[in-house]
Amino acid sequence: MINEIPIWRIKYLPYNLDQICGREQLRNRLKGIIEKANFPHMLFVGTEGIGKTTIASLFAREFLGKYYDANLKIIHANVPLTEEERAQARSDAYVSTTKIGSIAGKTVTMPAFVQVKVKPFVQVKVMDAPFKILIVKNFDALGKNQQGFRRLMETYGSNCRMILITTKISGVIDPIVSRCQVFLVPQVDLTSFGKLITSIAKKESLILDEKTIEVLYKASGGKISKAIDFLQLSTISNKTVTLNDIYISLQKFQKGIVRSLLLVIFKGDFKKAREISRNILATYKYSAQELFTYLLLELHKLPLSTNVRASVINMIAEADIRAIDGQDNDIQVSNLLSKLCLYSEYL
Amino acid sequence: MAETKAKLPWIEKYRPKSLKDMAIPSAKSSGHKVNLAEELTNFVRNFFIEIKKINEINKEIRNHNRNATEKDQKEEIRLSFEKSAILLEGKPGIGKTSIVYALANDLNMDVIETNASDTRTRDALERKLNETTKSRGIMDFAKESRQKLILIDEVDGIYGTKDRGAVPTILNLIETTQFPIILCSNEFKQGLQSLYQKIKKVEVQPLSKLEAIKIASRVLKNEKISGISSGEIEAIVEKNGGDLRAVINDLQAIAKGSDFPDVVLLNNLHRDSIEEIFSLIRELFQDVKTLKEARNLTDRSDVDYNFLYKWVSENLPSFMHVNSDLANAWENLSLADEIFGRIRKNMYWGLLPYFYDLFAGGVTLSKKESDSRKGFVRIKNPQYFSSTTLNSAEKSLLEKINRKYNIPQDELMQDFLPFLQVLSSSSRKHQKIISDWFELDTKEKKMLKSD
Ligand SMILES: Nc1ncnc2c1ncn2[C@@H]1O[C@H](COP(=O)(O)OP(=O)(O)OP(=O)(O)O)[C@@H](O)[C@H]1O
Ligand SMILES: [Mg+2]
Repeated sequence: MINEIPIWRIKYLPYNLDQICGREQLRNRLKGIIEKANFPHMLFVGTEGIGKTTIASLFAREFLGKYYDANLKIIHANVPLTEEERAQARSDAYVSTTKIGSIAGKTVTMPAFVQVKVKPFVQVKVMDAPFKILIVKNFDALGKNQQGFRRLMETYGSNCRMILITTKISGVIDPIVSRCQVFLVPQVDLTSFGKLITSIAKKESLILDEKTIEVLYKASGGKISKAIDFLQLSTISNKTVTLNDIYISLQKFQKGIVRSLLLVIFKGDFKKAREISRNILATYKYSAQELFTYLLLELHKLPLSTNVRASVINMIAEADIRAIDGQDNDIQVSNLLSKLCLYSEYL
Repeated sequence: MAETKAKLPWIEKYRPKSLKDMAIPSAKSSGHKVNLAEELTNFVRNFFIEIKKINEINKEIRNHNRNATEKDQKEEIRLSFEKSAILLEGKPGIGKTSIVYALANDLNMDVIETNASDTRTRDALERKLNETTKSRGIMDFAKESRQKLILIDEVDGIYGTKDRGAVPTILNLIETTQFPIILCSNEFKQGLQSLYQKIKKVEVQPLSKLEAIKIASRVLKNEKISGISSGEIEAIVEKNGGDLRAVINDLQAIAKGSDFPDVVLLNNLHRDSIEEIFSLIRELFQDVKTLKEARNLTDRSDVDYNFLYKWVSENLPSFMHVNSDLANAWENLSLADEIFGRIRKNMYWGLLPYFYDLFAGGVTLSKKESDSRKGFVRIKNPQYFSSTTLNSAEKSLLEKINRKYNIPQDELMQDFLPFLQVLSSSSRKHQKIISDWFELDTKEKKMLKSD
């Protein structure tokens, strides 16, 4: 029993390219590359959470075979450098006081990220494999520091190929896009998704029907690990999964979070409220309208005067109507938040 | 040897070795067409002729100074900036770096290169460059050693706004160099103006479609790849708009036996210049006083409106702080978004003017109570998730979890932790199984309890 992995999303992680759910075309392209044993730098573009990194790292492992350990590195561009890493970069950047000139004795900014995280890896010679592979997640988060990759990708290109990963290509500077083959990573399709969920259900001896799978697909926004989380939560007490179970497990998530959003709104803190709502939208893939519904539900539980309640419902209704045709969830939600914040003194 | 060659990415494998191998892009200097190959060759040849003269004169001056009294001392002379350095400016992947290496190869010279990935300190730059440039004493004797050419690649990338120390270093280098200097850049950068003013600038144009197709076909022939129609080659070239590197990358991908790359999809992706958007957003929020001014501003820009209003949405709270202003601004922006949706849905293009006025002027002119922030405001990219820094308990939890399951911190916080919290709060048994499996200590266990 001890060896049993208790978290399904980990238990059912794919361990090679063939096990990746759906995305046939992309997989075949990647397998073709492995056969030819050569590829240019690559840029993986696709929405958040659909498996870009999983695919990239499984690909890299398969490509490198048994030599992957020493030759593969994954770095996260959006994770700030640690104190030690920054200290290291600083010591490299210190301009000696013996130099003459206005900046003597000062530290000068430099591409610390490239210096500390990238260069040491790409410069060390590849062992046994055709070349090393460096995977950079959230590449767009590097902003101006992307510049530092330009010649690096060329000069060390034969020693190390890069797979850059981003959710939005507009955040990647042109000269970098120019240096990469771009791959669009699509969302998993419903059929493949269904197959995966059915096979998990079989192994866990669950009973669930097609409609439930579809709801699961929608609720998770096609994010597989999210879907498996929901599935696991829905089966805590019962092996038969009904639509209702799924909804309940979804709601368990919502309660605490929507409440914390309301608290911030009551303080009239728009910036903070926006931050929280964005997190909610991103994490649970709600549409603006779903979020409005939950807000309304929670508001109903609060002791408000009739007048205030009516005005708040009015605001939410207005926002809801606008969101029908609106294109951008975030804008529509922010609009409601700004109104509620303005009104916060009455709440 | 053949083994390593097969492993090269094609863009390196097909980097031209000689000017004769490459399609010379057309170029302009101070408004006149120039032949880039000739221009550069002459620049380098001239440099060595001139510097020789200068060195001889300076030698005499030094001789003279040695015997002269203090007030008779003469100053050494220097070669003018224009004769010592030349700047190549142009879009990515059109052959700037390549032409420099090809030229050096043809003239039997070594290239000393520095670029945006190098440490951007004056100290480091000097160290790297001075090794070769300042040692004129030795170099004068070592006639037989190969001549050198200095390439400062990607100047626009090397110098972010904060790296002021570097421009004087480069200027100083240009003044004292014993070797010709070529600089490359993608675009004009304000911070480099003092440099640009002094040296000769050549604008390098993208290759013509015809040239690009020729090169693409040559690559395909050399790789013995058939089955790509001339129409498809043309589509690839067209999609990449003169960026030869991108063309060759695409070819390598197709050759992998994969199908046609996502040409159509890629064509639809926007890649507006971020810089332009930055300044536009600033102007919009900080300078615009009337609806008309706002309108002029958006009309003038090439930035896709589809995209622009998201930037407005992202940056709005950085410029306005008072809740009443915010409410008005969002009212206009959300209406703009609704209208935009209707335009798209029903093709009501007649509504477009309202959309413009609302998201630009309507938003920025809502600023009544908020004090005008005149100073520098950092512009943010439209994005929903930003990474947060973890506290120490969160950090140790992340570390524990990562031993069993590799998950980056933002996904842990947004996605996985809330799930673990719900799961473990469902029963004591679950809580125990989870914390046992991840081997959590008491402090970390606490984090599984949602508040
Ligand atoms: N004029 C050309 N003739 C032949 N090949 C070319 C030419 N221009 C570019 N290429 C191909 O494209 C690749 C990239 O070109 P290069 O590195 O010179 O671009 P660049 O102008 O320096 O770009 P960046 O501004 O992004 O550094 C070369 O390795 C070569 O394969
Ligand atoms: Mg270049």
